[in-house]
Formats: sequence, C-alpha cells, structure tokens
Amino acid sequence: MTSTTQAQGITPTRRRGGKRWYPYLLIAPAAALVAIFLVYPVGSVFYYSLQNYNVTMPLYNGFVGFDNFVAIANDQKFWDSLLFTFKWVVVEIGLQFVFGLILALLINQAFKGRGIVRSLVFTPWAVAGILTTTIWLLIYNPTTGVGRYLADMGLIPYGTSLLAGEDTAFWAAVLAELWKGAPFFAILILADLQSVPAELYESAEMDGAGRVRKFLSITWPHIRLAVVIATLLRAVWEFNNVDLLYTLTGGGPAGSTTTLPLYVAQTAIYDRDFGYGSALTVIAFVLLIIFTAVYLRINRFGKDD
Amino acid sequence: MRSKTMRTKRWMLVSVAAIGAMTLASCTSGGEGGGADGEVTLELWDTDTRPERTENLEKLIDMFEAENPGITIDYLGLPTDSYMQKISTAISTGATPDLLTPKASDISALVAQGALAPIEDVFVDGGWEEQIDPVMVESTRAAAPDGQLYMTPATALVDVIYYRADWLKEAGLETPATWDEFEAAAEGMTDKASGQFGYTIRGGSGFFPQFMDMVYTRAGIGELFDEDGASTLDDPAVIEATQAYVDLYGATTADSDLTADFKVMIAQFSGGGAGMLSHSIGSYPTILESLESEQIAVGLPYPSENGSQVIAQLTTGFGMFADSEHKEAAAKFLEFTMGEEGNSFWAEASGYMPGNTAVADEPWVAESQALAAAAEARSNPDAIPLNVPYYLPEWTSITDTAMLPDWQSVLQGNMSVEDFCTTYAKELTEAQARYEDAMK
Repeated sequence: MTSTTQAQGITPTRRRGGKRWYPYLLIAPAAALVAIFLVYPVGSVFYYSLQNYNVTMPLYNGFVGFDNFVAIANDQKFWDSLLFTFKWVVVEIGLQFVFGLILALLINQAFKGRGIVRSLVFTPWAVAGILTTTIWLLIYNPTTGVGRYLADMGLIPYGTSLLAGEDTAFWAAVLAELWKGAPFFAILILADLQSVPAELYESAEMDGAGRVRKFLSITWPHIRLAVVIATLLRAVWEFNNVDLLYTLTGGGPAGSTTTLPLYVAQTAIYDRDFGYGSALTVIAFVLLIIFTAVYLRINRFGKDD
Repeated sequence: MRSKTMRTKRWMLVSVAAIGAMTLASCTSGGEGGGADGEVTLELWDTDTRPERTENLEKLIDMFEAENPGITIDYLGLPTDSYMQKISTAISTGATPDLLTPKASDISALVAQGALAPIEDVFVDGGWEEQIDPVMVESTRAAAPDGQLYMTPATALVDVIYYRADWLKEAGLETPATWDEFEAAAEGMTDKASGQFGYTIRGGSGFFPQFMDMVYTRAGIGELFDEDGASTLDDPAVIEATQAYVDLYGATTADSDLTADFKVMIAQFSGGGAGMLSHSIGSYPTILESLESEQIAVGLPYPSENGSQVIAQLTTGFGMFADSEHKEAAAKFLEFTMGEEGNSFWAEASGYMPGNTAVADEPWVAESQALAAAAEARSNPDAIPLNVPYYLPEWTSITDTAMLPDWQSVLQGNMSVEDFCTTYAKELTEAQARYEDAMK
C-alpha cells in the first residue's frame, strides 16, 4: 500500500518533468547542428585569435592575449586590404545594383522571346565561381585573349594585360564580378516587379504621370525591400570574396587587389599562421556584424508594415 | 500503453541514428584498405597534377602493382598551386593518405606538423645509400629541420635556360655563353612591334626560384646565408645581379610578365612570344609538345664574374605519411621509385634527373638536351650547388607570400632593388635566427 502511494505521488512529478524537457528535446537536434556548425567554428576562431598558433613553428605557439590585435593595428597590409575591401564592395554593389535594376526593368517588359532573354540574363549567376574566373582569364590573356586581337589591330601594344596594371587589374576584376553579380540583383528585383499591380500604372498614366514619376512613386516603393536585402547580401558576399580575386589577380599586382579575406587566406592558409589569421577574421566578423545592424536600422528593415 | 509505444519509437529512432552514424564512421575509415584477404590499398596524393604527369604516374603505379600483387595504389591528383591547403586540412583532420609526392621545399613544413614519416631505416636497410646520387641524398636530408630523410631522393630538377634556337639563328646570334651575351640575345630577339620578346620573366606567383636561378648564379654565390647566419640577399654582388635581372623587365619582356606564373611563362615561350625562358628541366617534355627539338637549345646559367658556376637543383621524390597504417607496403613503393626499373621510367617520362646512379648512365639521359645540360652541371668539378634553406619553416611564407607584392613593385619601379634586397635579407636573417633558436 505504501509503495502504491509513493508511486502515485512520484509519477505526476516525473510526467511534469518530462513535459518540461520535451520542447528542449525537440529543438535539441537543431541546437546541436547550430552548435557544431556555427558556435564551435566561430568560437574556435575567437579562441585562436588570442593564440600564437603557427603549425610550422610549434615552439612559439601559446596564449598571447591581444598581441595579434596590437600587431594588426600596426600592420600596413591590413589597413591597405581593409581600404581596398571597402572600395571593392562600394564599387561592386553600386554597379551591380544599377545594372541589375536596368536588366530587371528591361526583362519585365512584354516582348517576343522574353523567356529566352530572361534565361540568358540569369545564366552568369548560375556559372561556378572558378569557371567565371577561367572565362575572364582567357579573355584577359595577353597571348590568346582580347588584348592579342587589339594588338593585332594596332590599338594597344603587344604583351599588355589588364591584369598586369595596378589600376587596370581593379577594373578588370570589377567587370568580371559585375558580369556574375548583376543577375542576382535582377532576379530579386524582377520578382518584386512582377507583384506590382498593373492597375497602379494605368491609374498613374491616367493622372498624367511620366516614366520617372511612375518609377519613383510605384516601382521603387515595391522593390525597395528587395533592393535592401539584395544589397546587404551582396555586400557581405563581396566583402568575403576570395575565389574570383584569388584566381584572377592573386591579390596583385603588388598587393593592389588584396581584400581583407584574401589577406586572411594568405596568412592562415598559405603561411599557416592561424593565430594571426584568426585575429584578422575576428575583425572582419565584427565589422560585418556592425555593418549589417547599422544598414538594416538605417533602412528601417521590417518596420514598414 | 501509448507512452510505451512512443518510447519504443524513440529508441528505434535513436538506434537508427546510431547505426547511421556507425555506417558513416565506417565509410570515413574505409580508405584504409587492408582487407581480410591480405589486400592492401594505398592512397597516393600527387602535388603537381598535369595531364601528362598523371598518365605517367598511373603507369608507374601499374608497373609497381604488377610486381607487388596484393598492393593497390589509389591515385589522387592535387592542384599544383594549392595542394598544401588540401594536405593541411588532411593533417588537421587526421585524414592523410599513405603516400605523397613532396618537393624538398615542402618537407620542413610537413615535418614541423609531424605529418611525414622518416624513411632513414628504409633507405639504409635497403642499401640505397650506395645506389642513389649522394648530392641528392644530402640535399634531401638538409631540407628537413632534423636532417633526416623524409622523401626518396628519386629525381632532381636542375634549373636551366631554354632558348629559341631558330630565333637566335635568324638574329645571327650564337647560343649565349656569358651574361653579356645573354643580355645581347634578349635585346636581339626582342621585336615589340610583332609581339616577340627576348625573355620571359616570372613576375607572378612562385617567382623566387627563377630569381635565385638568375641572380645567385650571376652573383656567383651559392649560399643563402653566410657563416654568421646572415642572409646574403643584400650582398653587393646579389644586389647588382638583381638590378640586371630587373632591368630585363619591360625592355626585353612583355609588360604582362608582371603577373606571369610558370604556366604563363611556359605558354609564352612555347607559343612564340618569348625567345628565352629560365625554368627547370622538368618543363622540357611540355615544351616539346609545342616546339620541335631543333627549335630549342638548352643550357645552364653562365659562370659569374668571379668564375663560380652556381647550379640550382631541387630534389623531388616520394614520401610516406606518419599516420599511414600500411607503412610496410608504402615503403615497398618508395623503394620501387628508387630502383632501376621504376626510377628509369619515372625520370625519363618526367624529364627529371634520375637519382639512381645506374640509371643516370642510360642512353636516354644523354639524348635529352635538358638532361644533358643537367648532367654537365653534375660532372663539373668546379660547380657550386645553390644551397637553398628549405629547412626554414618560414621559407615559403617569406619568399612567396611576403616578397611577391614587393617584387612586383620593384619590377614596376615603385621600389628600389636595394630596398627590396635589404628588407628581405633582414627578414630571412631573423627567420634563420629563430630557426637556430628553436633547434637549440
């Protein structure tokens, strides 16, 4: 009888306890994945940023506090790469937005063969990064590319390459990335453009609105959120761009096209100095977090409704 | 009852997940080979993937497998310019293969990470000391911080200068035999209006081997550090030779050479854009795919003003990873690459100098212009080897990552040769001091 009473007294508590843990059990797999694929990698980068950790020189490895960050503050290559990163992001995003918007407005019009044209416009976005670079490397090749034909026509000297000049290498890389990136803007903007009711344009036309007025008063308010999210995503991606710049220019000539992530790659991957590379990564991470928060706040993202 | 059913279901899910995890785990370790039937599967990673090299390496593997039933080798080619990333990841995750084709310049970094297995026992017990070129053995040992052998001294690359013999003939010039004649040939073969340049300089990635080949040989200095551990990069003779090398850029080379890596250089020479090229003998088979042997001449860099003939040589071979579970089988392959049959095939197919001294006397060595030039270097009693400090853990990061942007600034005239040489002489001297400190 006693044991029955105890059982009756304990079981509800256990059930309540079980119910209390049940939601946590349900989110546990997702939490585990986040911990494994996000918290641990980010945490390890923060950890190594406080270490001297070069796998080729284990003798000197160990905790150094903020020494890596102090060294970065005095590292001219860091400041140069950071400055170039901002220049790269601003120019790329500006041009990609303008060309993406123009493309979206054009292919939103009704015309014969629009489906094929839309497919062609979006094709560069579907091309793998390394293939994009290969295409543009062939175009810029001084022996077999466009430069050779221009030289044959006497327009430029033989043996010149856009990738071999500090100024021209920048614009050569911008053009290659623009070719790949503009369709992304076009896709997102076009999706919003298609949701604009045609009646709005018809009413505006009846009220005598011109093309510019219709764009500013109808089109822009509809596509603004798409533009905000597209510029944010592309800005982060362009900031982190490594594949195109590494394979196209290698960060050169003379380091003139080295972005901060490319500098991280050179330091951590090639020089195997993971401590210093991690500290550089922490700075890039913090900069992107601040940029994202400020950008969304300025654009009042999510507060329009 | 319902609760019991749910619990059962949960346990089933957990069991399925556990079985799945075990399956995945078994998949990841599936590459170890070593089945119950005694079959062993080795994994070989190649660090210099090119179509013709892959074909030759697969033939070498076939030859080995035919002689060693029960051992199979799986080949994986890694990109030449990024193989170290893949290897570093494999080391970090404990997923290294059994065999690798390192260069002497890779050994220090791999040994520092405890990745490579020493092969002194295999080498000494197999009696290879008597059969392999002693200079190659010594340089391979010197490439490791602890002076041990971590790679078979199977083959060597010697740096030479390739000439377009037909261009020289058209210009009424002889194959250069001195540095002055070299400069005259570079000028004589340059015709910018038709896109023809006398020389192709390596301004891009991996520039330093060509730099050493052209600068240290001209300066007549074979040591990168003097007896006190100070870098010789700021030696007046080296600075002067560097200036002469830099002066070629733009005057007798294409401006696009500022970013030229080895593929661009080879294409420039083979494609009729440049009359002279500094590179290793390993490029000879590739060049012969585009040009006839009569169109090419090959020679060593010239003696310096002080009379020294400096020879730049890089040993290449095969190594074994420390984590290999089949070291015995892997060692058999290493020995095969040093034996007469394997060494002869691999060296001839690759265009490398064979490490096996018996193979070095085979007729095909003398028939190759490039190998004949390399053999001449080896037989010259007055030749000085260029001793490159591959043992320095920071060697690659200084001579490639750090130096490259400034080297391109020098070529563009934005940095003086003297500043470049003194800046990096200081860095190399400090790296050498750190190394000596670590070895105490």
